[in-house]
Amino acid sequence: MVKSYSLERRERQMGFLFALPSMVGFLVFILLPMLTVLVLSFSKLDLMSGQFSLEGMKYYNKMLNDEDFWRSVRNTVVYLVIYVPLTLTLGLSMAMILNSKMYLRGVVRTFFIIPYITTYVATLVVWNVFLHPTEGPLNSLLMSIGFSHPPQYMVDSHWALPVLAFIGSWKDVGYHCILFLAALQGVSKDFLEASSIDGANRWQRFKHITFPLISPTTFFLLLITIIGGLQAFYQMALLTKGGPAFSTTTLTYYIYRSAFEFYDFSYASAVGVFLFALTLVFILMNWLTQKKWVFYQ
Amino acid sequence: MSQLSIRKLSTSIVFLLIGIIFITPLLWMLSTSFKFENQVFEQPFTFVHWGHVNFDNYRTILMDTPFLTWFWNSIFVVCFSVILRLILSVFGGYAFGFLKFKYSGAIFFLFLMTLFVPYQLTLLPQFIVYRYIGLLDTRWALIIPNMIDILSIFMMRQFFLSFPRELISAAYMEGCGVFKSFVKIALPLAKTPLVTLGLLSFFMIWDQYYQPLIFLKSKELFTIPIGLQSFQTQFGKAYAQQMALACLAIVPVLAVFLTLQRHFIESVVSSGIKG
Repeated sequence: MVKSYSLERRERQMGFLFALPSMVGFLVFILLPMLTVLVLSFSKLDLMSGQFSLEGMKYYNKMLNDEDFWRSVRNTVVYLVIYVPLTLTLGLSMAMILNSKMYLRGVVRTFFIIPYITTYVATLVVWNVFLHPTEGPLNSLLMSIGFSHPPQYMVDSHWALPVLAFIGSWKDVGYHCILFLAALQGVSKDFLEASSIDGANRWQRFKHITFPLISPTTFFLLLITIIGGLQAFYQMALLTKGGPAFSTTTLTYYIYRSAFEFYDFSYASAVGVFLFALTLVFILMNWLTQKKWVFYQ
Repeated sequence: MSQLSIRKLSTSIVFLLIGIIFITPLLWMLSTSFKFENQVFEQPFTFVHWGHVNFDNYRTILMDTPFLTWFWNSIFVVCFSVILRLILSVFGGYAFGFLKFKYSGAIFFLFLMTLFVPYQLTLLPQFIVYRYIGLLDTRWALIIPNMIDILSIFMMRQFFLSFPRELISAAYMEGCGVFKSFVKIALPLAKTPLVTLGLLSFFMIWDQYYQPLIFLKSKELFTIPIGLQSFQTQFGKAYAQQMALACLAIVPVLAVFLTLQRHFIESVVSSGIKG
């Protein structure tokens, strides 16, 4: 009795010691930076002289009256509106392909996952040449089959953002494909067979059996995709630098420019706090609507 | 019977074609990396020019650019980051999932609350702090923030939550202390989640571009993603060489993926469902 009491105490002590590195790391690299961003957004810090002064709501007021800020909010939302549904439907379709009766399943699966695991910057370097507006292979093909004015992709301010969203989907969809496939494989064949005997067609089987059964996975992926979409940055930084004509400057790229091109860390922090708030709003919205369509067995 | 297998065969061919279309840009990259610059946009397109395959792009990249330095930097950063992250996560996971201590539940809840903070946000103050303590423009600026990853600690905690108590109790009976029973019993049994975590972290950190973009100035410290970008900026028209460089950047991750494909897919599934 005495022994087990001291052992329990020992476990607690060691537990604290074991967790100490993570707690210190969390404090130093996550919690303090978060608080610093919050403080920075209300104050001014001169990086050269180290001078610090409180400024109240100045940077938030600037933000709300900044046309460029609102344009980057709009661009972020447009990006999400394209990227999220595209990635989810593509991922589900690819998983359904892999879940059907077929030869060479392993090969096709590998093809589907390869973009997800390859180095992002390398694939962007490839896309940059592949979508070259005048000479690139895609437009050469389009012109040779009769399109005299193919899209100009990253050079055209109407096309640039959708193209970047498409590239983001192409890169990430392997992850969705893997998780959807695992979920589809978990759907009981008995249910599907029983309903097809009852005369349900493909679409009805999907709508009433498959979709409800995979809905927890869909919900998880929806969350992940929204968060990933809000944080998209690589395509803008590498392919368009936020242009042409500001059309691909999303919030993340706007934060980057404010901080590392104009060295206005306070303003970047204010926009960053806004981005975090936006993330939380999206998560909350999902959480509140999940009851309507997510089905837990 | 034969009608059924013909149908299966034809759908398989269609699906294979879809798969090939999906990775067309990467196949084009491979093809172009073996061409001369004046053949990059050739009409009609030829996948390989048997007879005069051009290996010079690869030679130029390997000999005349700092590619090998970038490669070494990437390996260095990724290895240290992954190892340190695994150590922190396995200790943290055992503490939060199995040992527990006063307020450990509340502290872990606080950890989870920050899971959705955009990384672009926490990097801003890190940049300022690094400036003051002189860590800017060093490899450690990339490695240190990678050590702590809430999702990794979460995964290890999930594993140790369902860890059989009897195994550890038996070790206590035989006179092992808390630390020794962790090393002798818990750690060997945590091999699978640790490999999973290591693999996922490897891919993630290999890809990191934002951190080197803001933390590094010196070319000799560049990792592969940022090195690729600097090459693209500098030699914007050397498309065939860019493709060779992109190929070389992809080879290591592709090799890891192809050898451990089954394990990788299981990793993604298990982390996704638990995460």
